[in-house]
Amino acid sequence: MNANANDVASEIRDGYVLVRLSGEVDLSWSQAVRLAVLDALDHDTAVGVDLSEVSYIDSSGIAALVEGFQRARTRGSRFALVAVSDAVRAVLELARLDRVFLLVATPEAIVTVA
Amino acid sequence: MKTARARPAGSRAPDAAKIARTAAPRRTREAATLAFFADLSQALAVSLDLGQTLSETVNRVADFMQVEAASLFLLDPATQVLECRICVGPADITGTRLGVGQGVVGTAVAENRAQIVVDAANDSRIWRAADDESGFVTRSLVCAPLATAEGPIGAIEIINRRDGAPFTAADAERLRLIAAPAALAINNARMAGDLLEQQRLKRELDLARRLQKSLLPKRRRDHFPIVAVNHPAHEISGDFYDYFDLADGRIGFVVGDISGKGLDAALLMVRAASLLRWAGKDGVAPAAWLARANDELCETTQDGRFVCAIVGYCDHAAQRVQFAGAGFPPVIVQRAGEFTDYASGGPPLGILAGIVFDEVDIALDGGTLYAFSDGATDVRDGAGRPIDNAGVRKLIVRHAAASPDARLRGLLTDLKRLRLVDDTTLLIVEAPRAQMPEVLLERRFAAQAAELRSVRSAIRQALDILAVEPELRDRLVLAVDEACANIIRHGYGPHHEGDIGLRILRDGPVLSFELTDAAPCVDPASIRPKPLGECRSGGFGIALIDEVMDDWRIQPAQGGQGNLLILRKRIDGIGSEEASEA
Repeated sequence: MNANANDVASEIRDGYVLVRLSGEVDLSWSQAVRLAVLDALDHDTAVGVDLSEVSYIDSSGIAALVEGFQRARTRGSRFALVAVSDAVRAVLELARLDRVFLLVATPEAIVTVA
Repeated sequence: MKTARARPAGSRAPDAAKIARTAAPRRTREAATLAFFADLSQALAVSLDLGQTLSETVNRVADFMQVEAASLFLLDPATQVLECRICVGPADITGTRLGVGQGVVGTAVAENRAQIVVDAANDSRIWRAADDESGFVTRSLVCAPLATAEGPIGAIEIINRRDGAPFTAADAERLRLIAAPAALAINNARMAGDLLEQQRLKRELDLARRLQKSLLPKRRRDHFPIVAVNHPAHEISGDFYDYFDLADGRIGFVVGDISGKGLDAALLMVRAASLLRWAGKDGVAPAAWLARANDELCETTQDGRFVCAIVGYCDHAAQRVQFAGAGFPPVIVQRAGEFTDYASGGPPLGILAGIVFDEVDIALDGGTLYAFSDGATDVRDGAGRPIDNAGVRKLIVRHAAASPDARLRGLLTDLKRLRLVDDTTLLIVEAPRAQMPEVLLERRFAAQAAELRSVRSAIRQALDILAVEPELRDRLVLAVDEACANIIRHGYGPHHEGDIGLRILRDGPVLSFELTDAAPCVDPASIRPKPLGECRSGGFGIALIDEVMDDWRIQPAQGGQGNLLILRKRIDGIGSEEASEA
């Protein structure tokens, strides 16, 4: 289990905003994740959440992602999960949400994948 | 091993040599040389047997070079002595030994250069003893070193052209060229031999380890007061433990540690193990038991090896323990948090016959006796110092709450983490608890989200000790984390503060995760999972718990204040391995 520090950082890229998460997303800071995701959606019509460095996520973290997904859908924006780590994928599968989200391997694919 | 016999020179002439023999023009001779090389290289390439490689080389060289005799010497790198390993010709010089620098062969190796002797009768380099003994007369000879990147490994020598002419520089060059692939092939054959030897040794060590393991008694599950574990530092162990029932209802136990490591220690272990069992079978007092084994070992152990051991008896309820030690680390007894050390009752076994050992007879008073080989106390801490008895006590305290099985696994895991340098054996004597589930983890923490990360890590560790496979482990961690998060968010909520108590219990294959809180009582009927897969934010924590666990229930905590949430999961096969394999 990697011991990454919990962190969320948003980068404005060409045509999308990338929200990078790292560490263990749980109740202690999932609210910050939620705000970062919603903020990114206010900023651009395409948002990716990079989950490659996330070693754990609980249902409150998943909920923040679900809320982002719903917000994007009502606005007609793009919302994708990027480079989902095995730990996150396992929880998405357990919650049967792996087919709900758009999952992409690289940030560039946020704007190119149909 | 297969060995090819040396053939007399010229008994089998390869085609290439036939062509060479005819007084052919230069080009034909070159073609013949090339053909010979190709032939020799091919033959050597497929030969991984050293004897066969040597014989092949010398015979082919003698044939091709049309000489009366040829021989091959190999250098022993340890003694720097050259020994003739194979020869063809009228005189058998196999086994002849030369120092480096002695004779033409020794000179070729010392200088790592081909030597040519045109007129042997008048050459000071000639070592004449061989000729004098056999009556063979050396007229002319060439010797080339078997050169490798690491220096010469021997030399090959040809004596007397059959046409009577002295050897020429061209002959020397040809032999030098032949020597190169021969050296390579000999090296390869040696390495192949080493590899086979290693494989054979590994197979035998595997067998020895299995045999050793089979000597350890099976884990008893019938409310037995003794649990033990043995962890060899290498393939085989010099440590062992044993326990057995006596006719009078008592139980005998032994922990032994053979001095030294490796195969001979392991062999003595097998002998000492059966000897100690035999000596204690009829229930003599521990001191007499050790004395008997000591006298027997002194008669038969002469190589300076000795055996440290502790032997003793206890009753099934583990109320009294009688024991005696021979050069064994002090036995630790823990009673209600207090530690007492009992030093060994005499020197190790197998050194001096006739020794009288001291024995100890104690009441355990519900406490626990720990006997451990010095592998445990020799474990190094971060600074490289042995942890000693004090270090072992600290570890015991850490795992005191766990059942004997879980405690041994925990102790061994900690010792391994600290770096075990020796075989390690731990044995516990303790009154069997009546069907008590094993406590794997007990922890109390403030009901705050910031605590959850370290709680998850503790759960993960507890499950790792049971070797729960990672995917399931992560799901269980998630489910317990979700339950804690619910207690924090909905149980205590923003207006209450308090702790959460977490216990992980194991009862056979069933794990229970118990969470207690002091929050306002929860109406179980109010907790409803939301269907999974439904795309709505929040509310699927309970659904995840439902998905991962077999069942869960919530009830008022004892005393009416707070709640007790119990999550259960059955995992067949967990921790079912024998303690000795932990």
